[in-house]
Amino acid sequence: MIVDAHLHVDDLPALGWQLEAAECVRRLDEAGIARGVVMTIVDAPEVNPDAIELIAEACAAYPGRLDAFARIHPWYGDTSVELLEHAFALGFKGLKLHPVTTIAHPAEEQTLRLIRVAASHNAPTLFHCGDEPLTTPYAVGRAAAACPEATVILGHMGGYFHVDEALEVAEELPNVVLETSAMPYPARIREAVERVGAERVLYASDGPACSPRIEVEKVRLAGLAPGDEDAVFAGNALRLLEGVR
Amino acid sequence: MTVDALTFVGESIFGRSSTVPGLLAALDAAGVVRAVVAPHKPPGYHLAAANDAVAAAVAAGGGRLTGLARVDPLQGAAAAAELERALDLGLRGLFLHPWEETFRIADAVVDRVVAVARERSVPVVVASGYPWLSEALQVGALAERFPQVTFVATNGLQLNISGLGQVDAQLALADAPNLLLLTSGVYREDFLEGVVRRFGCERLLYASAFPYFDPRLEVRRVQWAAFDEEEQAALLHGNAERVFSI
Repeated sequence: MIVDAHLHVDDLPALGWQLEAAECVRRLDEAGIARGVVMTIVDAPEVNPDAIELIAEACAAYPGRLDAFARIHPWYGDTSVELLEHAFALGFKGLKLHPVTTIAHPAEEQTLRLIRVAASHNAPTLFHCGDEPLTTPYAVGRAAAACPEATVILGHMGGYFHVDEALEVAEELPNVVLETSAMPYPARIREAVERVGAERVLYASDGPACSPRIEVEKVRLAGLAPGDEDAVFAGNALRLLEGVR
Repeated sequence: MTVDALTFVGESIFGRSSTVPGLLAALDAAGVVRAVVAPHKPPGYHLAAANDAVAAAVAAGGGRLTGLARVDPLQGAAAAAELERALDLGLRGLFLHPWEETFRIADAVVDRVVAVARERSVPVVVASGYPWLSEALQVGALAERFPQVTFVATNGLQLNISGLGQVDAQLALADAPNLLLLTSGVYREDFLEGVVRRFGCERLLYASAFPYFDPRLEVRRVQWAAFDEEEQAALLHGNAERVFSI
């Protein structure tokens, strides 16, 4: 069984990106993936006040196939918190933060407030974690260090040039999980398992624009032991999703 | 038959050294028959010695390897002379790495060595997508200055894990018909497919940039994308054969 921990549903004519739930499911089927976690590309309440409903509807259309993360802009104070609580009431399983779109630093107080709300539901926070300012492992690590009760997922585990730092942060902070999507080096996945343990490495694709099938192949090329591969492909995601309350 | 349009052999100052046997084994593991090879930045900083090593690698490659010469444009006349010398050894193109040699690809200092490439009718491969030094529109500006030269940009002209480099890459392709892209490390399948749909299959070449990326994964990005048979053939070998005179 495989669970894809990072997919997108959204409609962004400005970027020419139309990412539909049906396409996510088609891509999951193509790759033999049982379940996927979907989130928007933009944030609620700005620039899309209906982002939570968009994802809720996508998941409702594919029961048992899609789970939801709420992508929320931290700068709207109580409104941001209310949106996140609303999402959990709808059955969402986590929080997604992308500092490139929000320009909110991972360790600023309004961001930490949302991470702590997610943690109060035993839900993870997935950060975009790559090479851009505000998203590097050291920056996201500050947030993880400030919220030791939270599970913080480093999406893309540092991107092209920050994988070393992602591994370093994960070694230092036991509440950090490394997520494999887009990061293009199969060998670094094996290294991650060796250094922080298979229970803290999570398969994802960043699909449907990125190919879930290719991303599965990447993990297979890492050459993990069967038990470790099972954890990376499904066990860890299921533990996170099913632990949310 | 598949041709990998960019790989590296030799000693690397960055700890990424690769040998001819290691390269050939990696190609075999990916089902790749031939490859274009460029020098790493060597520990001694002497690119002439690295070019000699690539020429030797080509000779040792059993007819499977085609070499590129690497120079540092900041060396001015010496760089131009080294490119001439390396091409005389049988190398088939110029490789520029603005990030590792630290120059801005759109800077006029680059023109002298590109002019040599133009005179010798060889392509120029540019390590692309590096911030400040080889961004898509910077590479595009150089390509527009030399419309007679074929430029081949690594990494789909972008190294951005948010996908935010795509628009600049497309703008550069639109402005410079002599600019082609390598697929190395491009994680967005829809971008690769979009380049072929909008600009034609002759603008995109499969490459792994071994040892930086894994050829077994990189070749799948082309093989598993939504390309028809003709497009697959162009990307996997036809374009490389044409551009590098293989």
